Amino acid sequence: METEEKILVIVPAYNEEGSVGKVVEEIYTYLPQAEVLVVNDGSTDLTSEIAKSKGAIVLNLPFNLGIGGAMQAGYQYAYAKGYDIAIQVDGDGQHDPKEIGKLLKVLEEKKIDMAIGSRFIGDLGYKSSTMRRVGISIFSQVISMFVRQKITDPTSGFRASNRKAIRLFASDYPQDYPEPEVVILLHRCHLEMEEVPVGMSERYSGESSITKIKSIYYMVKVLLAIFVDCFKKPPLLEQER
Amino acid sequence: MLIKIKIIVGALSIILFLITFELIRKKRLREEYAILWLFTGVVVLVFSLWPEYLLSQFFVRITGIFYLSAVVLIAFFFLLLIVFHFSVVISKLTGQNKDLAQRYALLELEFETLKKRYVSHEMGSP
Repeated sequence: METEEKILVIVPAYNEEGSVGKVVEEIYTYLPQAEVLVVNDGSTDLTSEIAKSKGAIVLNLPFNLGIGGAMQAGYQYAYAKGYDIAIQVDGDGQHDPKEIGKLLKVLEEKKIDMAIGSRFIGDLGYKSSTMRRVGISIFSQVISMFVRQKITDPTSGFRASNRKAIRLFASDYPQDYPEPEVVILLHRCHLEMEEVPVGMSERYSGESSITKIKSIYYMVKVLLAIFVDCFKKPPLLEQER
Repeated sequence: MLIKIKIIVGALSIILFLITFELIRKKRLREEYAILWLFTGVVVLVFSLWPEYLLSQFFVRITGIFYLSAVVLIAFFFLLLIVFHFSVVISKLTGQNKDLAQRYALLELEFETLKKRYVSHEMGSP
């Protein structure tokens, strides 16, 4: 009998009742062998109930921790329950579950620790504002320089991680601006990552956590956080068992 | 003029000292957080009552500022230390709070799962 790898799809959701149901449904459609964990980050709407009715496991945080804390809780679950691969997919529907297969393929074939879905490799027709593009390109250059590897989409939250990365994230996960900071963290722990071209769709509902006015402020803060990260002591990774 | 300021500043620092002491006694303030406050009270008191002694003279000589400004500056410096100390404490508490919330959520999920399994087991057995 073939040993199946245990796969967990982590969906962080904060007040996403309009989209979370559809996201969970689609994941089960395209990835029937996986289990879906919705991390309800202290939502005040029906996110938790809708996710549960669609058959997802729901982890209810007692209050809003922010995306970093919510994702970490998801990874802690994945670690405790012995999953081999964890995939994170946003609850707002901007990540297409159809594309998860591509992440998994790269993760397994290249034997890397994390596969990052990128909107900017190849032309898969992702449209966003110029402002956002310029911001992401600046991040991309700064981060690529730090990790000595081309990272085109460091803010992408569409990722697949292996057991080793899950273990790291369960104990250490950046809280403030997790996506770009995780890239630095992986590099500092000598884990390997690779980008995979994926298509991302428009958000089903809700607003991006970054509005136009705040984007410059956000950029400065993230760059500062990245800069500080480079001086932090990297966490020790012992061998598991 | 100077004597008035001495009395006001001295009285304020004594009040600060007494309040801190009372709060520790009633266990409403933990000792580790109170040490800086007590120290602030004592230093400001010494400075305001005997400005001609010790550090204050030294301080006036090296900075070239006068009595009142020196007292204010020292008090300000201590407040800065206290605020900084608070930032450190708040950061630590925020981290612990996050850890607790995560562990609580994981345990709750585990508990619900076990409960469901237990209930279905109960119903299944004759």
